[in-house]
Amino acid sequence: MARANSFDTDLFDRGIAVRLDGLSAGYGAHTVLSGLDFEARKGEVALVTGPEAAGKSTLMHLLRLTLAPRAGRAVILGLDIGRSNAGQRAKLKRRIGYVAENPVFVEHLTALENIILPLKMARRRARAYERDVIELVDFVGLDRGGADLPVENISGAERRRAAIARALASKPDLILADDPTAGMSPEEGRRIVKRLAEMRRVGAAVVITSQDESLADVAPMQHWRIARGRLAIDHASSADAEAFE
Amino acid sequence: MKNALAGVERALFWTLAFAAFAAVAVGLGARAADRLASHYDAERASYAIVRVTYPEGPEGMEAAEAALRAAPHVAEAAPMSAERAAALLAEWSGAAVRPEDMPALSLIELTLAASAPRDVATRIERALTRNGVSAEIIMAPQASSGAGVGARVRTAALWGAGAFALVMALIVSLAARGIAARRREWVIVMADCGATRSQAAGKVADEAALLGLGAGAVGAGLAGAVAIAILLLAIPGAGLDALRAMILPIDLIPLAAAPFVTAIAAGAGARAAAGQFHAQAARLG
Repeated sequence: MARANSFDTDLFDRGIAVRLDGLSAGYGAHTVLSGLDFEARKGEVALVTGPEAAGKSTLMHLLRLTLAPRAGRAVILGLDIGRSNAGQRAKLKRRIGYVAENPVFVEHLTALENIILPLKMARRRARAYERDVIELVDFVGLDRGGADLPVENISGAERRRAAIARALASKPDLILADDPTAGMSPEEGRRIVKRLAEMRRVGAAVVITSQDESLADVAPMQHWRIARGRLAIDHASSADAEAFE
Repeated sequence: MKNALAGVERALFWTLAFAAFAAVAVGLGARAADRLASHYDAERASYAIVRVTYPEGPEGMEAAEAALRAAPHVAEAAPMSAERAAALLAEWSGAAVRPEDMPALSLIELTLAASAPRDVATRIERALTRNGVSAEIIMAPQASSGAGVGARVRTAALWGAGAFALVMALIVSLAARGIAARRREWVIVMADCGATRSQAAGKVADEAALLGLGAGAVGAGLAGAVAIAILLLAIPGAGLDALRAMILPIDLIPLAAAPFVTAIAAGAGARAAAGQFHAQAARLG
C-alpha cells in the first residue's frame, strides 16, 4: 500500500527492489518506453535483452535516476521517484551501483583509487574497507598489478572489471549493468555476468541489459525481453535458483 | 603545490596570476593617482596671496605681516620678493623677466593650515582690518582651470580601477572553468556515485579557489615588486626607508585583496561549470 509521502517502504520490505508501473519515458519529442511494467526483487537477477535501440539504455537511465519518467509510477528501493526530492534521490543513488556501457573514470587515478572513490565519498575509513576492496578486486578478476596502474594505461576488459568493482564497492542494494559484456569475447562476457549475478547472494537486486540472449542461462535469473519500448518477461528462459541448481 | 601543476593547470595558474597582476597594477596606479590628486587639491586650497592696499609701502607690509602672524589658519606668511615675482611671471608668460624691472610689490604669500575653513579669506581679511590694514585676499579660483580636476581624477581613477578589476575577475572566472572542464570526468564519476550538485561542484570549486589564491598572491607580489621599482626610479634619491614612510596601509588594499578576490572568482567560475557538468551527468538528480 503506497503511503502519501515519497517512501513506499512496504514494497521494499516485501522484497521488491524496483517496480515500474505503466511507465513512459523518452527524450524530447521522442518516446522510447511506453506503458512499461517491470519488477526486480532483492536477491534476484533480472536480465533485459533486446536488439539495438530497443530502449535498454533508456531503462537503465530511468533506474539510475538520470531520466525522469513522463508517466506511470517508479518505486526504486522503496522511494517513489515521482514524489521524491533531489536530496532523497541523491541519497538513493548512493545505494545503486552502476556499470555503464562506456564507463567513465578519473583517468589519472589508478584503477584501485577509482574503485574506492564511492567509499571515500561516503567518508568511510580506509581501514574499514581495505580488505573488502582487495577481495572485490580478486572477485571481478582484476589483476593486482593492473589495479595499481592509472586507468588510462589499462585495457578495455580491465576497465570494465574496474567499473564493476567500483559499482560493487559500496555494497549497493541495486546493481545496474548496462551491456557489461559489450566488446568482450563470449566466454569473458559470460564470466562477467556470472560475477555480477553472484551479487544476488548478498541480497542485492541485479539488473543487467544486453543484446546477448544466451546470457540467460549463465545464472538463475528473470529474463525480460524488450522490443520497441515494450517489456515482457520470458518465462520459458527464466530460471530461479532452485531450478538452476 | 610542488610538481602538482602540470600542463594546462600551469598555464591556467599563470593566466590567473597575470590577471591578478594586471588588476593590482591598475589598482595601485589608481591609488597613486588618487593620492596625487588629493595632494594637488590640498596644495591648491592651502595657497593664498594678500595684496595690501592700505597703509601703502613698507609700513603697510609690516603691519600686515604682524597681523597675519596672529591671524587664524595661517601656517606661514612671507612677502613676495621681486625675484620670486619675476620667476613666477617668467614661468607663466614664458618670457624672461628681470627682478629689477618689477614694480614695488605689496604682496604676501600665505600657506594656510590644512584645517582652514571655506571662509578663511573673510576671516583673514577681518583680522587684518582689526589691525588697521586693508587688503585683498586672493585664493585659487573655484571656477577656472584646475578647479575640480583633483576630484574628477580621483573619481575616474577609482571607478576605472574598479571596472578593470571586475573585467579581470570575469576573465579569472571564465579561465577557471577550464579547471572544471579538466575535472569533468571526476564530476561525472561523483554524479554516478550519488554526489549532489553542491558536493561535486564544491570539490572542483575548492580546487580552483586554492589555485586562484596562489595565483592571486603571486600576481599581487609581482605587481608590488614592480610598483616599488617604479617608485624608486621615479622619485630621485628615494630609498626603501622613505618608501616605508610614504606608503600608507590603505595603499596596500589591492595587494591584500588580490589573492582572495582571485580565489573567489576562480572558485565561482569553476563551481558554475562543474554544476553544469553535474546537471548533464545526473539530469534527474
